[in-house]
Amino acid sequence: MSDHSLLEFDNIDKYYGDTHVLKEVSLEVDEQDVCVVIGPSGSGKSTLLRCANRLEEIQAGEIRLDGTALTHPDADINVLRQRIGMVFQSFNLFPHKTAIENVTLAPQKVKGIDDEIAYEEGMSILEDVGMGDHADAYPNQLSGGQQQRIAIARALAMDPRVMLFDEVTSALDPELVGEVLEVMRALAEEGMTMMVVTHEMGFARGVGDKIVLMADGKVVETGEPKAFFENPQTDRAKQFLSRML
Amino acid sequence: MSDAYTDGAAADNSTIERFLNDHTLKRVGAAIAGAFTLAVGVLLYFIIDFANPDLFVRIIPRFLEAFVLVLGIVAGGSILSIPLGIFVGLGRVSKTRFTNAISTGYVEFFRGTPLLFQLIVIYYGIPALWIQNFGDFPISNWAIPAAIIGLMLNHGAYVGEAIRGGIGAVPEGQMEAARSLGMSYVQAMREVILPQAWRNALAAIGNDQVILVKDTSLLTVIAVPELISEFRQVNSATFDPWTPIILVAILYLCITIPLGKFVRYLEARSDWGGGDRR
Repeated sequence: MSDHSLLEFDNIDKYYGDTHVLKEVSLEVDEQDVCVVIGPSGSGKSTLLRCANRLEEIQAGEIRLDGTALTHPDADINVLRQRIGMVFQSFNLFPHKTAIENVTLAPQKVKGIDDEIAYEEGMSILEDVGMGDHADAYPNQLSGGQQQRIAIARALAMDPRVMLFDEVTSALDPELVGEVLEVMRALAEEGMTMMVVTHEMGFARGVGDKIVLMADGKVVETGEPKAFFENPQTDRAKQFLSRML
Repeated sequence: MSDAYTDGAAADNSTIERFLNDHTLKRVGAAIAGAFTLAVGVLLYFIIDFANPDLFVRIIPRFLEAFVLVLGIVAGGSILSIPLGIFVGLGRVSKTRFTNAISTGYVEFFRGTPLLFQLIVIYYGIPALWIQNFGDFPISNWAIPAAIIGLMLNHGAYVGEAIRGGIGAVPEGQMEAARSLGMSYVQAMREVILPQAWRNALAAIGNDQVILVKDTSLLTVIAVPELISEFRQVNSATFDPWTPIILVAILYLCITIPLGKFVRYLEARSDWGGGDRR
């Protein structure tokens, strides 16, 4: 075992203009762990996730992937991003490409993987997420749940060290949430390191190894799921849970 | 409240509302269309009566020659204006201040001055500068290159604006998704943003290219032997405007109508599975 966690947020601060949206946030995600970030909207949890692959820049502190500071100005962000998969609330599939093309695009163009190998690997990942039969469909021919599963496959195709999930079920019809959570649960069981921002408390409790509650840009409480949900320590956590459950 | 949706005329009894109900509007529309058809029919009758079939046949070869020249100039202008426009569009969305300012200045100038003026600058102005500084102007038949360059520069600005709008209509999340996969800005633009921007801009670019075809009529001013030049020669020799006019109209439409169809074909081809595109 190494002496550091796979993904580390070290005292980070982020501002939008004068608004202080992340306040001295420190957080560690260990290898093979599922870290679930919950909290009321506007608490900064999505921003925190977006900082982890520099879709947002931080103003102070450091974020490290496997010991390498990815927030360093000299860091090669295109290389680091290949090791960090990201899935978005609004899927963001490429509408001009079929499911399989969505999955193979980055391996082909970024990693330079041979077309045939990329196709075979892509098909195998699509089958893993249960979308093998829809490889040639365009995104707008598919349901939200199907699109989101393809978006997960697209991120997995780059063989990332860690996967970030940004409220990936929030834009789905209620009956489609299950299929996406099921894919995520399977991924967690295979040992993928995951950081998940969600409002799905059932998933947090069932799949999470670590729960992080954020409020007003700060980490309020961190704990194992059982302890956190059954015996929250802070008033803020008690208050949040009483509203959610 | 419920009445308002059942019958517009019943809801408001003012004279104009009573007249402008669906039924009368339909009849008024048909009447206007009928009157228009009648007027065009009468005009066509007079024109055909006026036109001289012998002259018509005699002038066909020279007009075909002009037509081929126009086709060549259109092809040159089109093929060059589109890549130029893509670069201009990319410059217009660039966050690099210098690039952005230059492409904005370019668009402002070429959209802000008439094409005729630009053609005059290129056709008369450039050789004059050359002669003063470097001696003899090396291109003997400058009119046609000048025409292609003028059309390219002018329409590059319009295509650029269409591309800029097309890029702006691609959701922010597309760039984020591409970058999050490790693609560089250039890769994301080329593989993800531009194909969608192109689709968004296609109708506007198609419109512009049809205008480019019609803009070749201005080339008569810089002595390009195109369709209007031929018309002017035939008219001044025969005092018969209508016979060449018919030919000019047919030949312009022979380019613009297929071009419009081609654009619609391109649009249909990038349907991406149909239905609502997000």
